[in-house]
Amino acid sequence: MTDYWLSKLFFDLQHDPQLAADYRTDMPAVIDRYQIKPDVRRALLDDDVAALSPLVNAYLLRFYFQIRGMPEAEFIARLHAMKSSAAQTAETARHG
Amino acid sequence: MAELVGIFAASHGPIIARNWETMPRAHRDKLAAAFDEIGRRLKAAQPDLLVVVSPDHWVNFFINNLPAVCIGIGDEHDGPPEPFMKKVYPHPVLKGHAAFGMHLLQTALDNDFEPALSHRLRLDHGSCIPLWRAGVPPDLPLVPILVNDLEAPMPSIRRCLAWGRLLRRAVESYPEPLRVAVLGTGGLSHSIGEATMGWIDEGFDHACIKAFANGEEQALDDFLTEALPQTGNGAHEIRDWVIAHGAAGGTGFELIDYFPSPETLVGAGFASWKLPANKAGSLDHRSRQ
Repeated sequence: MTDYWLSKLFFDLQHDPQLAADYRTDMPAVIDRYQIKPDVRRALLDDDVAALSPLVNAYLLRFYFQIRGMPEAEFIARLHAMKSSAAQTAETARHG
Repeated sequence: MAELVGIFAASHGPIIARNWETMPRAHRDKLAAAFDEIGRRLKAAQPDLLVVVSPDHWVNFFINNLPAVCIGIGDEHDGPPEPFMKKVYPHPVLKGHAAFGMHLLQTALDNDFEPALSHRLRLDHGSCIPLWRAGVPPDLPLVPILVNDLEAPMPSIRRCLAWGRLLRRAVESYPEPLRVAVLGTGGLSHSIGEATMGWIDEGFDHACIKAFANGEEQALDDFLTEALPQTGNGAHEIRDWVIAHGAAGGTGFELIDYFPSPETLVGAGFASWKLPANKAGSLDHRSRQ
């Protein structure tokens, strides 16, 4: 399910260098400018790739974590961990 | 009367620009050779303008206003905004072709297509990496067609084929002598920002190339409509190749090169189409059966 305000934050960070600079210095203050839900806010502050992934376009997600300074290898590893986790869940469900 | 003088397609992964100087030399040479061949053929076609069919990577549009297709009808467009692109392709303003852009838009409306329009688009790496690497002169007028390849729901493959035929019809009905080339950008398979990021689906890529080479539009439509949801999200950019294929009349596909490029996270594909002698056919796919 697309989260509009999370998407808007990511989009604006891509387009507004000053906002991106502000975000680097004071994430909570910038997040507060948007109608971000509490659980999404927590995910942002925790750099929780898995929690944010279903909420935004995948290309915006990639851009966001570039802004956050996460190395691409780490970003990819966190994405791959989601796949492993989903596979484990499915396996558990199959075997009860 | 205008004429189509060349139809091409090429990948555009942003890492091609970001890491051009640092990627392994042999791989860079392979990419460079493919882009050079596109550039050589494009130059030989001597176009007066280039229609560039590309996705918009959240540069012009957002989910509050996201057209399926947008035609750039301005006299000028903005060059790439990405910092990594400004380093390699430092052209803040790119020339447009308002007269042909408007003619394409009007032809679309007259044929029951309703694209968005823009008098000034920003052309991101999707358009500009192939322009940069193929050595397209920065003063060659461009008419951009931006297609939603990134955010579901996206235009159907059937519709993209029809867009290609429409593009051809617009060229052939333009009243002035004008040599028009087409460049579709993106693909082949890649996976961005999702759990399979980095996956290059060579099976999809080879099947895709086979379907283009076979040329039969219904088979291409059937294959892509079934296969796209099962591969990485970046493969949706194949719509831009499909529009090029439709403009070519569904024939003449010629693969220049394909190779998996883990260095740039894409199945790197490069192609051109031999131009058919026949005039534009019906815009209705079913009437071609």
